[in-house]
Amino acid sequence: MFANWKSTVRGKTMMARRIPSILPDLSFEEALETTKIHSIAGILPKNQPIITTRPFRSPHHTVSGTSLVGGGRIPKPGEISLAHYGVLFLDELPEFKKDALEVMRGPLEDGLVTISRVNATLTYPCDFIFVASMNPCPCGFYGSKEKECTCSPQAITKYMGKISGPLLDRIDIQIEVSPVKYQKLSDDDEIENSEKIKERVNKARRIQLKRYQNENIYSNSELTPKLIEKYCELNENSKKILQIAFEKLGLSARAYGRILKVARTIADLDGKENILEEHITEAIQYRSLDKKYWKN
Amino acid sequence: MLSIVKSMALNGLEGYLVDVQVDVSAGMPSWEIVGLPDISVKEAKERVKTAIKNSGYELLSRKIIINLAPANTRKEGSLFDLPIAIGILIDLEVICKKDISNIAFIGELSLDGKLNKVNGILPMCIEAKRLGIKKVIVPKENAKEAAVVKGLKIIGVDNLVETVEYLNNKIDIEPENVDLDKLFQEVNKYNLDFSEVKGQEHIKRALEVVAAGGHNCLLIGNPRFAEKQ
Repeated sequence: MFANWKSTVRGKTMMARRIPSILPDLSFEEALETTKIHSIAGILPKNQPIITTRPFRSPHHTVSGTSLVGGGRIPKPGEISLAHYGVLFLDELPEFKKDALEVMRGPLEDGLVTISRVNATLTYPCDFIFVASMNPCPCGFYGSKEKECTCSPQAITKYMGKISGPLLDRIDIQIEVSPVKYQKLSDDDEIENSEKIKERVNKARRIQLKRYQNENIYSNSELTPKLIEKYCELNENSKKILQIAFEKLGLSARAYGRILKVARTIADLDGKENILEEHITEAIQYRSLDKKYWKN
Repeated sequence: MLSIVKSMALNGLEGYLVDVQVDVSAGMPSWEIVGLPDISVKEAKERVKTAIKNSGYELLSRKIIINLAPANTRKEGSLFDLPIAIGILIDLEVICKKDISNIAFIGELSLDGKLNKVNGILPMCIEAKRLGIKKVIVPKENAKEAAVVKGLKIIGVDNLVETVEYLNNKIDIEPENVDLDKLFQEVNKYNLDFSEVKGQEHIKRALEVVAAGGHNCLLIGNPRFAEKQ
């Protein structure tokens, strides 16, 4: 039993670390660009002349704004650029310095960061998937069925308030991580490996590349409001579902676009041309924490 | 006498060409580096002087002026050590090769004449190729990284003496070669896998959506306490 526990990986970090394993392989051009950045930063691993896997960067929460987005007298690339074409993972998001997180907002949207110093003004690319993790409250049990939360409402508000609304708005998918039942962990069912998931991801990505070939974007996450209108049409039923969800969950206007984008991706994974009811329902689920944790 | 040695520098993600112009003449012994060098470039003076001496070449007391052109952009880093040393040795007629206009030199010298690796070799070599340079001499440690750029002869050298003998045709060094296809197949493996994660199917599904659409995501919750049940 104990051995079983040891070989079992749990937790948000372990999940996040595995995201690159289901992302599409780097193309040669992408690999070259990522390698360039790592080469300049001087962190290219020995005996590995070119980076062939998508980078996964997880800076500690004491990171400064400068080392996150880049800087210095002659600006060097920061963590967000080192994560170019890969994943930037910020564990325990509320622990990060607020100003460090805020400087990241623009680059997160634009996919590149321009740093101006006296000696030089430089632009580095930073096209990455932003993954963050956090507890629902300082003690970690808010909303839990297993144990009561011991935090005061003020403490919770303060904790959640460390994440600014604009930053939160740039996050498409919220995932609630709940404890796993013991039996489930000791179950010896065959588990799907990353290779299989990746096949489905690649398929969905190919659909997107084809659909957006004339739009100068590559994936659903880059859809602008105008393009959302064009590519994320809903049928009557789905519209109704979305309307009810909005009233019940009190979602913001920005959440609307996010839900449609995510629904588009789910439909692509399903291989469906149009967004159906089940796709929109799943997409709404990924937004339902707004109301639970951020009550405004 | 004046010699011009080609080298590269970095401006953000792009490399650019730097002409290292070295003039050695009779006069009051002095040593000047111009062309907006920062401290690490200025310190090249001491490294190069000592490296040349310790490599067994005689550096007589001369007036040495070094210009890093274009002179209006700021230069930083230790990568100009090698081109500066080569320029001086050409002036002192230690190196008898006449035409080096097709070769770029990049590398930091240590006091014993050994070449140390520098950062940003890849973007510099990409630009060198674009400019039509045929050969780049780099520190041995950087050679593989540089060789990713195809159509450029990359010569990895260990120390200053080796570089001089190579330029004097006393020894021959094979250009570095990297098999990119093989490298991609071998290293293109991520060593973590979702098959190691038990349960949590809904999270895996959500992360699949994240990967498929390139969406940003936030994981909330505290599953560490599963074992307490």
